[in-house]
Amino acid sequence: MESNKQEMVTYSPNQGGNNRWLTVTTLLLAVGAILKLVTPSVGGITPNWMIAMYCIAINLTRPTFGQAAGIGLVAGAVQIPLSKSAFPYGNLLSEPVGAIACALLLQATMKMNIGAFNLRPAITTFLSTVASGMTFITVMKLVLSLPLSVYLYAMMPVVFAVAVINMVLAQLLYFPAQKLFAARGNKA
Amino acid sequence: MNSIIFDNMSYAYPGGDAVLKNINAIIPPDSFTILTGPEGAGKTTFCLAIAGAVPGYFGGRMAGSVTVGGVKTTDIKVADLAERVGIVLADYDSQLLALTVAEEVAFGLENRGAAPETIAAKIREVLALVGLSGNEHAEVAGLSGGQRQRLAIAGMLVADPDILVLDEPASALDPEGTAELYRLLGELNRKYGKTVIVVEHCLRHVLPYANNLLVLQQGCLQLAGHPEDLLPRMLKEAVYAEAVPAEVKTIYAAAAGVRKEETRSA
Ligand SMILES: Nc1ncnc2c1ncn2[C@@H]1O[C@H](COP(=O)(O)OP(=O)(O)OP(=O)(O)O)[C@@H](O)[C@H]1O
Ligand SMILES: [Mg+2]
Repeated sequence: MESNKQEMVTYSPNQGGNNRWLTVTTLLLAVGAILKLVTPSVGGITPNWMIAMYCIAINLTRPTFGQAAGIGLVAGAVQIPLSKSAFPYGNLLSEPVGAIACALLLQATMKMNIGAFNLRPAITTFLSTVASGMTFITVMKLVLSLPLSVYLYAMMPVVFAVAVINMVLAQLLYFPAQKLFAARGNKA
Repeated sequence: MNSIIFDNMSYAYPGGDAVLKNINAIIPPDSFTILTGPEGAGKTTFCLAIAGAVPGYFGGRMAGSVTVGGVKTTDIKVADLAERVGIVLADYDSQLLALTVAEEVAFGLENRGAAPETIAAKIREVLALVGLSGNEHAEVAGLSGGQRQRLAIAGMLVADPDILVLDEPASALDPEGTAELYRLLGELNRKYGKTVIVVEHCLRHVLPYANNLLVLQQGCLQLAGHPEDLLPRMLKEAVYAEAVPAEVKTIYAAAAGVRKEETRSA
């Protein structure tokens, strides 16, 4: 194989598309779906990984409301086959609500940090999880015509418990996820 | 149809010297190819060239061509090529590159207007295929290296590419994990007709599934052919002979000994 002189054509690099927000979101939702599959329930309560993941994604990528709704729809759709709930289609409404809530909260100019420490992920995730969870259980209550006592004393506490767990998880996972997001290329 | 053809291909990263030199190779569809060679031989670059990331993503200088399924990689957008070529890279940072490369496809099902049920069904199917469904009782922290590797493969399979390229997929796995991984890849090759290309230093676990072997050295394709024919040549001609599994070495050494005996007694 002799190395005859060849004409080399020069190509300019073309790194990173303008869909990084999509890539990162996909990645996080996929991770969320897997975690959802493998996380055992402790006393009937499991973190809602999907919400935690899209809240992280939305914190990182700051999508438009339309994009946030899309993220929520996909997150909802992905969960339908994975859900153990009696009415999984509720996710199609509750997740867009959660995602849009998160995007809305991020527009808020109010300070969400202690000193240099950014608490936005925790606060937005807590409120988004509550928004999504309340929507979900309200839909459930209406569709399955559940008694009000179940709604108030069984379902609502779970929503808040999950929101607290999610808040902690999102804050913890935000920083490694941020590294990942910043690892290469532009913020689009 | 989906042959990969390197036609007198040479490539240099921006500002560098050629790291692939006059490569001529045909990787047939449905084949299971091992790409091996010493450190820095250009194996990863070879993989990136199949996916079009070289030169599409990195830039640099290229001569000759790489054709995938009848289309030159330089005539097609990297993202479009990613529908045909799925790639899992060795380290996490590079995998992010692969994701960037595939980004239009990564979520692509949705972009192409697939219904949410279709997406969900596809994800379920892919997870089942790599053996990650039914894992509801596993511990969260217990996603093993092998399972993470399967997850990466699942991610690659969502777009349903015909060609699967894996750069040192077993590097983080123990021997059992490695054996299991190659069983999965062997099945994807045989049962689902995927063209599989893996970079591997340790040939033992992957040899049973392979029907094509490429040996790169310093950017040149030194040997190409069926492993059964190549392994003895790698030993005889000392071309990256250290990759040849010990058992195989013993067998060939014994065979060579017998042959010597025969010639002596004749
Ligand atoms: N992004 C890059 N920019 C410039 N040079 C590079 C780049 N990536 C690799 N190279 C060079 O290209 C040559 C081939 O590298 P490549 O990574 O393809 O080899 P390899 O066979 O995969 O090696 P290894 O076994 O270490 O993974 C090396 O000399 C390397 O230094
Ligand atoms: Mg390499």
